[in-house]
Amino acid sequence: MRGGDAAAAAEEGSPRSPDLHDLSDDSDYAAAAVATASDHTAMRTDSADAGSDETARIDVVYEKERVTIHPTQYGSARISGKLRLFLQQGSLFLSWEPNEGGGSLSTSSVTVEIDKYRNLYTIKALPLSDVRFIRRHTPTFGLDYIIIVLSSGLAFPPFYFYNGGIRELFATLKQHVFIIRSDDDPNVFLVNDFQDPLQKSLSSLELPGVASVANAMSRQNSLSFTGSVDETRHADDGSHGAASSMSQYSSKQKPKSNDPGRDLSIQVLEKFSLVTKFARDTTSSLFRDNIGSQAYRRQQHGYVLDNKASDKQKNQYITPEKDSIPSAPVESDPIPLVWGKQRDRPLSDEEWTTFLDPEGRVMDSKALRKKVFYGGIDHVLRKEVWKFLLGYHEYDSTYAEREYLTAMKRAEYEAIKSQWKSISATQAKRFTKFRERKGLIDKDVVRTDRSVPYYEGDENQNVVILRDILLTYSFYNFDLGYCQGMSDFLAPILYIMEDESESFWCFACLMERLGANFNRDQNGMHAQLLALSKLVEILDPPLHNYFRQNDCLNYFFCFRWVLIQFKREFSFEQILLLWEVLWTHYLSEHFHLYLCVAILKRYRQRIIGEQMDFDTLLKFINELSGQINLDRAIQDAEALCTIAGENGASCIPPGTPPSMPIETDGGLYVQQDEVL
Amino acid sequence: MASRRRMLLKVIILGDSGVGKTSLMNQYVNNKFSNQYKATIGADFLTKEVQIDDRLFTLQIWDTAGQERFQSLGVAFYRGADCCVLVYDVNVTKSFERLNNWREEFLIQASPSDPENFPFVVLGNKIDVDGGNSRTVSEKKAKAWCASKGNIPYFETSAKEGFNVEAAFECIARNAIKNEPEDDTYLPDTIDVGGAGRQQRSSGCEC
Ligand SMILES: Nc1nc2c(ncn2[C@@H]2O[C@H](COP(=O)(O)OP(=O)(O)OP(=O)(O)O)[C@@H](O)[C@H]2O)c(=O)[nH]1
Ligand SMILES: [Mg+2]
Repeated sequence: MRGGDAAAAAEEGSPRSPDLHDLSDDSDYAAAAVATASDHTAMRTDSADAGSDETARIDVVYEKERVTIHPTQYGSARISGKLRLFLQQGSLFLSWEPNEGGGSLSTSSVTVEIDKYRNLYTIKALPLSDVRFIRRHTPTFGLDYIIIVLSSGLAFPPFYFYNGGIRELFATLKQHVFIIRSDDDPNVFLVNDFQDPLQKSLSSLELPGVASVANAMSRQNSLSFTGSVDETRHADDGSHGAASSMSQYSSKQKPKSNDPGRDLSIQVLEKFSLVTKFARDTTSSLFRDNIGSQAYRRQQHGYVLDNKASDKQKNQYITPEKDSIPSAPVESDPIPLVWGKQRDRPLSDEEWTTFLDPEGRVMDSKALRKKVFYGGIDHVLRKEVWKFLLGYHEYDSTYAEREYLTAMKRAEYEAIKSQWKSISATQAKRFTKFRERKGLIDKDVVRTDRSVPYYEGDENQNVVILRDILLTYSFYNFDLGYCQGMSDFLAPILYIMEDESESFWCFACLMERLGANFNRDQNGMHAQLLALSKLVEILDPPLHNYFRQNDCLNYFFCFRWVLIQFKREFSFEQILLLWEVLWTHYLSEHFHLYLCVAILKRYRQRIIGEQMDFDTLLKFINELSGQINLDRAIQDAEALCTIAGENGASCIPPGTPPSMPIETDGGLYVQQDEVL
Repeated sequence: MASRRRMLLKVIILGDSGVGKTSLMNQYVNNKFSNQYKATIGADFLTKEVQIDDRLFTLQIWDTAGQERFQSLGVAFYRGADCCVLVYDVNVTKSFERLNNWREEFLIQASPSDPENFPFVVLGNKIDVDGGNSRTVSEKKAKAWCASKGNIPYFETSAKEGFNVEAAFECIARNAIKNEPEDDTYLPDTIDVGGAGRQQRSSGCEC
C-alpha cells in the first residue's frame, strides 16, 4: 500500500520524491478525510458541551533567549524574545514571546511604533503541522536567522538568533517532527508534523492571538484537502473538516447576530496582515539578496510537490481508533476565533424595522450591510432593501423623500423611453444603429432566464418589459449601449422590483459600477482578471505557479464568473442571495474576486493533480456551473478576504469594477468600434 | 482499421450574436435544438468523436460570444485552431456582411502559419425561418463571396430542423484534417488511409 511506503520513508527519514501525477490514492484520501471531518464535528461538539477548562500539560523541549525580530530595516529597532518548542498532547508547537518592557530601542520615535506591534508578533502556539518549511540563513556578515513559512504560503518575520542556537533548534525539530532538507536548497527544511493530522485542525479552533491567526490561515490549505472530498461526493455542507466544525462551534457559542467575537477576530487578522506585509517584504527581499528569485521559485515548486507527499502521509495516519485521539488543547485564556462564519438567517421584517427611524431613515447602514452580508434578505423585503444596496435610495432618505423620488424618476423614465418609442417604422428604416441594437436586445431577452416561471412561455409580458428597459437604458447611456450580459443582470432585478421604472433605475445604478465590464475595450474585465491573478498569487502561491507554468495567467476561464457575477453558476434563487451579499460591499467592494479565489482554491487539488491545461481548465470551470456550494464559497471567500487584508486590497487598482469608475473628460465609455 | 490513438481537431465557430452558433454546435454534437440556449458569455467547447474514412478523431468545437466587443478575447481561444467556421443568418444581411470582418479578425488573432490556405467553412443558418420567405441573403450571393475568398466550402443549414448540419460538420472535420501537418501527428499505419481521406474530401466536400 502506498501509504505504507510513505510511512516507511518517513521513518527512515529518507525523503521520497513524490509523484505529482500519481492520484491513485485520491479516493482513499477523500474517504479518510470524510471520516475525520465528521469526527471533528462530533468531538468539537462534545468538548464544547463539556466546557473548556481542561488544560493540557506542556513539555518545553527547546528554549532560546534573545531570538529577535527586526520590525524595520534598522538594526537598532528590535524586539527581543524567547523562542520555544513545546509538546502538548503529543504535538509539537512553536512559540515566541517578546520580553516584557522596553526592548533595546535606540530611537524613541520608533519605540512607539514598535511597542504597538510588539504583541502582534507574539506566537502563542503555532502547531508545527502548519509550517511548510523553515529556511536557515547564515550570512557571512551579520547574525544567523530563520524564516518560517506557513502552509498558506505566508511567512513570519525573520527570527535573528543573537545567542546562536539554530543548530539545536533543527536538532530538536528532527526529534519530534518529520523534517527533510530540500533537494534544491540545502538551507531549506521542509517540515511536516504527521503525528496527528486531526490535531492540526482542532488546534485552530481557539488558540489565542496571532497563533490562532496563523492557524486560521492554514485553513487555506485545508480548503484544498476538503475540496477533494467535495468533488467526490458533491455533498452539502454538514461536516466538512475544520471549517464547518468551527462555525458550528462558534454559532453554538455566539448565537446572537451581533457578534463581538467576530469583530475581534477581524481586528486581529487585519493587524496580522500588517505583520504579514512586513514579513513578505522582508522575506522576499531577503530571498532576493541571498539566493535570488530563481531559487525561490524552485523552492515554491518543491512546495507543491511536497503538498502531495503530505496527503499521502495523511492517508495512513487516519486510523480507526478514534477513541484514542486526544481532545483539543484548550488554552487558559482562549479567544474564540470565529472564522468563515456560518451563514446567518436572512434579514427579517421585524429586524428590518429596527434599522429604521420613525421617518424611515436607515440609522446604521454599516450594521445593515453587515447583517445582509452574513444572512441575505428575506424575500419579501428584497424589493425595499435592494434599492438601498444598489444606491438608488440613500440610506438617510425618509419615506417621504423616497416616495417623491420614485414619482420623479417614473416620469423621467417615461421621458427617456419615449425617445425610442416615438421612432416610427419609416424612421427606423433609416436608423440602422437603432435597428441593430434593438435586434440584439430582442435576441437576448428571449434567451434570458426563460426557465424561471416569471419569464416562462411564449408572449410573456415580462420578457417585453426586459426588452423595453434595456432599450431605454441604451438610450439613457448611449455611449455604453447594450452589451450581452446586461440582460442577465436585469432579469433578477425586474423579478424582484416587479416595476418597470424602479427596475430601470436600480439597473442603471448597478451599471454605474459595472458598466466597465461591458465597455468596448473590455478594460473593466481586464482590470478585474488582473486583480484576480494578483490575489491568487498572494493567497495561493502554488496555484499561481501552476497557472503561470501552464499559460493560464490570463484567467479567461473566469471570464463568465466575473462578467456577470456568477449569474450562470448558480440557480436563480441563489443568485438573488449572492448578489445582495456582494452589493453590501461589506468586507470589500471586490468580494466577488475573493469568491473566485475561494472556488479555485477548493478545486486546486484537482486542477493541479489532473494537470489541467488551459482548455481543460476552461471546460472544468464551465462545468462547475450548478455544482458550487454557495454558502461555503461565501464563507471561504470571507476568510480569504480577511486574511488578505490590505495586501489583498492593494492588488486591486482604484476604479476596478465594481468600484466607481474614475471619470475622465473623454466620457466614461471608450468609443472605438461602432456603437451597437 | 481505425487507429486507437485519436487526433484532436480544433474548430472555432465565429459569427454575429444570435446567428445560431451555439444551436449549430448542440445540434451537431447532441442532436438537439432548444429555444432556451443562453447568449454565450466567454467561451465554451464541446467535443465529439468522429470517424472519417476509418480513422477516429476528436473534434473539439469552440463556441464563442458573438458580440463585437468580446472579440478581443479571441486570442486565448483561437490559437491552435485547425478550421474556422463562419456562420451568418440568411435572414440578417448585416450578419453576412460581417463575415469578412470575422475572417480577418480570426487570421490576425490566430495567426496561422499559412493564412492563405487556412481552412474556413461558411454556414448560412436559419434557412427554415418563415419557409425561407424572410431571407435577405441569397445563396448565390453567399457562394460568390466564398468563391472570392479562395473557394471556401459553403453550406445552408437549419440548426432548428437539423438540416445539413451533419454534412457541414463532416466537411469541417475534413478541412481540419487537411490543416494538420502530415508528419508526426499521423501514426505510421494510418498514413495511407489519411491520404485517401484527403482525396475523397476534395471531391466530396467542395461546393
Ligand atoms: N428558426 C431558427 N432559429 C434558430 C436557428 N438556430 C438558432 N436559432 C435561434 O436563434 C437564436 C440564437 O441562437 P444561438 O445559437 O444562441 O446563437 P449564437 O450564435 O450562439 O449567439 P451568441 O451566443 O449570442 O453569439 C436562438 O433563439 C435560437 O433558438 C435555426 O436554424 N432556425
Ligand atoms: Mg452562443
